Amino acid sequence: MTTYIVKRLGQSALVILLTISTVFVLIRMAPGDPATAFAAPNATTEDLAQIRTQLGLDGSILSQYVTFLGQLFTGDLGTSYSFRAPAFEVVLDRVPYTITLALAAVMLTAVIALPLGIWMARRADTGRETGANIVTIAAQSMPEFWSGIMLLTVFSVLLPVLPSSGFTTWSGLVLPAITVALLQVALISRLVRREMVSNLTSPYLTVARAHGIGERRLVWGYALSNSAIPVLTALGTRFAAMLNGVVVVEVVFNWPGVGSLVVRALETRDYPLIQATVLVTAALAILVQLLIDLLYPLLDPRVRLGKATAR
Amino acid sequence: MSRLVEVEDLQIELITARGVVRAVDGISLHVDPGETVTLIGESGSGKSTTAMGLLRLLPPDLAVLSGKAVLAGHDVIADPAAITGLRGRVAGLIPQDPMTALSPVHTVGSRLSELVRLRHKGTSRRQARLAAKELLEQVRVPDPERVLTRYPHQLSGGLQQRVLIACALAGEPELLVADEPTSALDVTVQAGVLDLLMELQERTGVAILMITHDLGVARLVSDRVHVMREGRFVESGDVEQVVDAPTHPYPKQLLAAVPRLAPKEVPA
Ligand SMILES: Nc1ncnc2c1ncn2[C@@H]1O[C@H](COP(=O)(O)OP(=O)(O)OP(=O)(O)O)[C@@H](O)[C@H]1O
Ligand SMILES: [Mg+2]
Repeated sequence: MTTYIVKRLGQSALVILLTISTVFVLIRMAPGDPATAFAAPNATTEDLAQIRTQLGLDGSILSQYVTFLGQLFTGDLGTSYSFRAPAFEVVLDRVPYTITLALAAVMLTAVIALPLGIWMARRADTGRETGANIVTIAAQSMPEFWSGIMLLTVFSVLLPVLPSSGFTTWSGLVLPAITVALLQVALISRLVRREMVSNLTSPYLTVARAHGIGERRLVWGYALSNSAIPVLTALGTRFAAMLNGVVVVEVVFNWPGVGSLVVRALETRDYPLIQATVLVTAALAILVQLLIDLLYPLLDPRVRLGKATAR
Repeated sequence: MSRLVEVEDLQIELITARGVVRAVDGISLHVDPGETVTLIGESGSGKSTTAMGLLRLLPPDLAVLSGKAVLAGHDVIADPAAITGLRGRVAGLIPQDPMTALSPVHTVGSRLSELVRLRHKGTSRRQARLAAKELLEQVRVPDPERVLTRYPHQLSGGLQQRVLIACALAGEPELLVADEPTSALDVTVQAGVLDLLMELQERTGVAILMITHDLGVARLVSDRVHVMREGRFVESGDVEQVVDAPTHPYPKQLLAAVPRLAPKEVPA
């Protein structure tokens, strides 16, 4: 178990290092110059060169990279150009908002998709199930900026009941969370449906029925607890993915999470901030995924970490 | 004494991808308390369909039943809802493949306790646990305390089948429907499971509707046998008469094709 965790953490560190190195090189090769974003509109070439030296951007990419790595291992991610504050702290300030949005979206997804999937399983292959499928797939296929703007129009402009942007009260969470959840419901509800149908028609369920177990318990106690494993895993994986920032939705709703931060950092060519965002979100997503994998054996007795399934 | 099972002109049509199949085509049989009646026939002859139909376990939208099937006085074809009170309590099922017959995420103990509490409402958890352990002892499971905490995948096929027999016994039924209870097991543990069924019958007087394709098994356990082929009974009668002096060529073929029951072994 400990060996497994150590191994996984080592792998994760490697993945994060590779990711951050790739990003480091790519942003410096992409067109655009942080110095122009920084300088006054009428700055001269000399001014720009001076700013570049100040920002440590005058050397080759390789020498910049070596400096960066050196700082990284002392825990220093540099100073954000635009916030003029340690990049790491700027990112950390935004993380709770992204976690809040992701958590709300995942819970909302579960609350909608679980009953819906069970309902679809019990009406498998009927017209009503097809109807539910079409609606959820339509919701999934809507671009999120579009569904987000639609929700905004309806609930904060036409019937102004919810705030349109930012996070001042908890009600500001409602619209962005719905927008993110809309994308997930189709996927998760169909997973629930598929798992439930296969469990409801499985031999063990027929045998339990033959033993006199009631229908309600067969659905909620047997089929559901056997479906829970893949469904919870999928929800956890969606959650981990959302920690990278739900970029479009955060921008549409002006949500102060890492997603909108990364857009701003890219616009201003704020290299340290981009790097810090990538590092923090990648580490977070990987940690959450590790946590899910560690919890998995608790859910599924057939799985033992680092070992083949016992027979 | 009244009949436990009375089947008259039972027909079962299955709606399959290849059209409607008449899997059971007008069979009649009866089982009296304490008796063992065997259905024997080759694969696909309709044995499982008969058993599942009797317990109304076939998917209602894919199986059409007609005729009469009376279980402890209730015709489950005329009144399908009646079966809910009969499953487990009047008739218990021992399935064909134990490997897939137990919920993977439930321990043996939780399954058995649940069935005990279903049979005797108001039993406390502790009492149910004790009863579960006793059930495992009844089916000769070694180290029942340990097995109660196990998940199905941690048990051998033979042990799983014993657990399933315990599950069926938890409802204290008058009839066990055993659908090829040994055919998915290793030859070495088959005899042990059959012995156990015979012993349980002797002790509790439970009737058995045995399903098999093995004449050796039929000869060992049956009071009466029905030889089934393509959904019909081609021969019925006392076990000696059908097995030892078959008048129909089909039982003779079965007899010639099937190896003898394996020698007795220690239970699995
Ligand atoms: N789910 C199904 N789909 C299609 N046909 C089926 C299905 N179940 C049973 N049948 C058909 O019904 C007939 C009877 O099958 P049944 O399973 O009752 O036979 P069986 O005597 O129990 O055979 P076995 O010894 O293999 O268990 C066969 O012709 C089979 O093809
Ligand atoms: Mg069968």
